[in-house]
Amino acid sequence: MFVLVILVYGAVAALELWLWAERPWKKVLIYLLLTAAAAALASLIVVYGKLPVPEPIGFLGKLFKQWWQGGGKQ
Amino acid sequence: MKELVPDHQGMILVLMFIVGNTLVFPLGGLAGPDIWLAFLTATVLALPIILAMARVRSLMQGSTFFVGFERVLGKWPSRILAFLYGGFAWRLACYVVSDVSNFIQTVALPTTPPVVIATFLALLMLWAAKEGVEVLARFAVMVGKVVLAVLAIIFVLLLSQVDLGEFQPVLYNGFKPVLRGAFQILDFPFLETVVLFWVFDCFGRRVSPYKVFLPGFLAASLVLLIMASTSLAVVGADRYALYYYPVWTAVGRINVSTFLTRLEAIVGVTFAIGSFVKMAVALLAASRCFAYAFGFSDYRFVVTPLAMGVIAGSRWFITTVLEVDQSAVETHSPDEIMFQVVIPLVVWAFAELKAKNGKANGSSQAGGGEEV
Repeated sequence: MFVLVILVYGAVAALELWLWAERPWKKVLIYLLLTAAAAALASLIVVYGKLPVPEPIGFLGKLFKQWWQGGGKQ
Repeated sequence: MKELVPDHQGMILVLMFIVGNTLVFPLGGLAGPDIWLAFLTATVLALPIILAMARVRSLMQGSTFFVGFERVLGKWPSRILAFLYGGFAWRLACYVVSDVSNFIQTVALPTTPPVVIATFLALLMLWAAKEGVEVLARFAVMVGKVVLAVLAIIFVLLLSQVDLGEFQPVLYNGFKPVLRGAFQILDFPFLETVVLFWVFDCFGRRVSPYKVFLPGFLAASLVLLIMASTSLAVVGADRYALYYYPVWTAVGRINVSTFLTRLEAIVGVTFAIGSFVKMAVALLAASRCFAYAFGFSDYRFVVTPLAMGVIAGSRWFITTVLEVDQSAVETHSPDEIMFQVVIPLVVWAFAELKAKNGKANGSSQAGGGEEV
């Protein structure tokens, strides 16, 4: 399944790049980078099932919860 | 190439974006019988952000979005912000696709894997996003009429099932549940409107952003208020918050002389159309933001990889219908506060300062007396 996902993403990217009238290297690079990121995410989900979602400012949420805890109880 | 959207089309796009995939969820369920108050409170609380966004766009008059944005914030801050908002819009697209695929799986295709539905949705929104905001706005106008007509008919038919006693007693538990319900509604869907800030390339006149954002937002707020309150009055305040899809359940109760029944499928179609507009707009915003962040004016070449990423992302953020429900009713998380409230207000403050300084410099260069 992992290989299949990579193949499908690769095939879609190859097909679209082939259809482009011009292929400036910067655009191709960004395109391939984003496709690789999408393929990596899809294959990780296939392999591991549930992936943790990054929360860059999640610590603020915990802080708010600490402040809020019991704050609204009567 | 400039993409110019007429005011009335932009307004309908805003309306469809907000109503979009939100219609079937228990919006403001925490407010209980005071849901209507929660909607009004949320509308009032959201208005400053909407007005700030419109003001910033108004200050960029005459230039395309990213040129104007660079003038306000400078090159690198605007690129960093575009990258962050690209991620935010992409995540929103993932959420909407997940909402729709889980909804379809729950009510219609229980044995079809959601990823199959997500793939078809991703193909559709890829197509729409590649066509650009002008085509999307025209499409929104076309389907908006159908959606609003269907909702109006459903509202009239639901009136026979409505029990106004469900709204009483008013403020029995004080104002706190109303505020919590209002924050629910602010988070999803009212302040998701910030994504639209990045979608419109340019406007026709200086007042156009106000004419697009303000009436669109207020109309969407009214539509959602009416539909949510009517559903609550049909299913009851307690059950409204418990159901995954209360509007679906409420419409299922319509029975006109045993002749006109099982109308919930119409709500499903309305939900699918609205969701399609919303996911396409979110993907378009993500594509525009990422392309600009990487230094390109043309965004269409990044649409396909981002849409392929959405297929995976829709199974990353949310996997079950329970998580869909939680994401729809949870109150503000810090990253959402940051993207939906803090950054728009900071950008607005910068834009005002820049405009003030520009005006002062202009008048001093012109001899100190003339307004430029």
